[in-house]
Amino acid sequence: MSNFIQWANFPKILPYAQLFKQGLVVTVLLSLFTVMIGFVLALILAVMRLSNFRPFRSLGLDKDGHLRDGGFLLALSKFNPLDFLATAYVEILRSTPVLVQILIIYYGVFSVIKLPSFMIFGFIKFERFFPGVVAMGMNSGAYLCEIIRSGLQSIDGGQTEAARSLGLTQTQNMRYIILPQAIKNILPAIANEFVVIIKESAITYTIGVQDIMSAVNAVKGATFIIMEPLLVATAIYFCLCFPTSKVIAYFERRMSRGDKR
Amino acid sequence: MATRDSLIQVTDLKKYYNKGAIKALDGVTVDINRGDVMVVIGPSGSGKSTFLRSLNLLEEPTSGSIVFDGVDITKKKVKNAEGKMVKLDIDQHRQKMGMVFQHFNLFPHMTILDNMTLAPIKVKGMDKAAAEEKALALLDRVGLKDRAGAYPIQLSGGQKQRVAIVRALAMEPEVMLFDEPTSALDPEMVGEVLEVMKELAHEGMTMVVVTHEMGFAREVGNRVLFMADGQLLEQGSPEDIFGNPQHPRLKDFLSKVL
Repeated sequence: MSNFIQWANFPKILPYAQLFKQGLVVTVLLSLFTVMIGFVLALILAVMRLSNFRPFRSLGLDKDGHLRDGGFLLALSKFNPLDFLATAYVEILRSTPVLVQILIIYYGVFSVIKLPSFMIFGFIKFERFFPGVVAMGMNSGAYLCEIIRSGLQSIDGGQTEAARSLGLTQTQNMRYIILPQAIKNILPAIANEFVVIIKESAITYTIGVQDIMSAVNAVKGATFIIMEPLLVATAIYFCLCFPTSKVIAYFERRMSRGDKR
Repeated sequence: MATRDSLIQVTDLKKYYNKGAIKALDGVTVDINRGDVMVVIGPSGSGKSTFLRSLNLLEEPTSGSIVFDGVDITKKKVKNAEGKMVKLDIDQHRQKMGMVFQHFNLFPHMTILDNMTLAPIKVKGMDKAAAEEKALALLDRVGLKDRAGAYPIQLSGGQKQRVAIVRALAMEPEVMLFDEPTSALDPEMVGEVLEVMKELAHEGMTMVVVTHEMGFAREVGNRVLFMADGQLLEQGSPEDIFGNPQHPRLKDFLSKVL
């Protein structure tokens, strides 16, 4: 292990500094787009999961318009297909490895859908970057959905009861009572998800996204040194994630200081 | 005494859980008249809260009917003025039924004033200035006008419950439902809340009160219902219920609480 890390190797990486710089930009952009796609997807999924859409509702009523006592029709009347679809999506995405998902999206979906081949900023290959963002976004959407859903459900049921008893509709209750209180719980969790995605995005180098990890690979291929570029990558990831999570923790503390409960 | 016409008619109200294994309400029939101060007493688990919460459909009854202002609100669809079947808009009826909860349920992210004006502005479409003026007048009535800008966390339990009462009053309801309004309060704060409720009763507000405060039931109520096991076992004037109880369950209950 005498040559585990050799200081002399670091200068040999210097010619490839540009690759790391570009990799850093790719990683940050990839993570930002992932969170954005994930958030929009998660909002839709959370609304689906919490929706009260019951197309067969009327089957649960008897001829007098009262609820049935039980039986298949009552169960069917409570079936919410939106909730079912969203739950299925979330559970499947959370129960399979993100690597598998990325490979399926890249080799499966985007072999059918042909992407135009061009460069962003002169060094980001769109036809690889885009599938990476889609796959990561779909994955993080499942996790963010659960964050949003639990944030909404963490609000005491008495709040909804009070709002509805005052005559507010379900939508007004969501907008004026539940969301303003839930956002406070949700935002830090979303920011944390961003940090998680920065780290997880390293996996996209398997489909040729030129992020920080792919810079490591390039150096390895050209110079046969591996430990030193890996350490550089480690340092970059750490410098990205550690301050970000500290900043989040700071805002989290500040927000909870004014907590009214 | 206010007019004695009927406001809410409850008929054979049932609320079952687990396909009838648990009968929270087992056939309750009662008429609530305008101006009534109806106090519901009974041991815990007797279904009195479920009964109260069914009145504005926070609990969906399994069967039975609740006719409020001439409309059966347990029906999903009702005839409108032209005789067409339309979806029942429960929000419209809930506005007319104020509700006060055991745990206050003030909105913690809003000031007291905003708590009070939210529903009048968003539901009734009142303009902000008028709603605030009205809210301040109501707060003044319960001695909390100077706390209008405070947040609920800054208030004591008794103050919170007084705000909760006037928040419901701001919607000008036809009936006020109280679900154990003093049960979560420290003993020294119970009096101030009961005082507000007493005033309300003297003004002729129709009230249905679930409570363990037997003194309030006796002094302020004009009708007392005794419930046990989801059934309405006895009802009558406070004098009858407390002075001359008939049902053995009621006698047993009174011997424990008085």
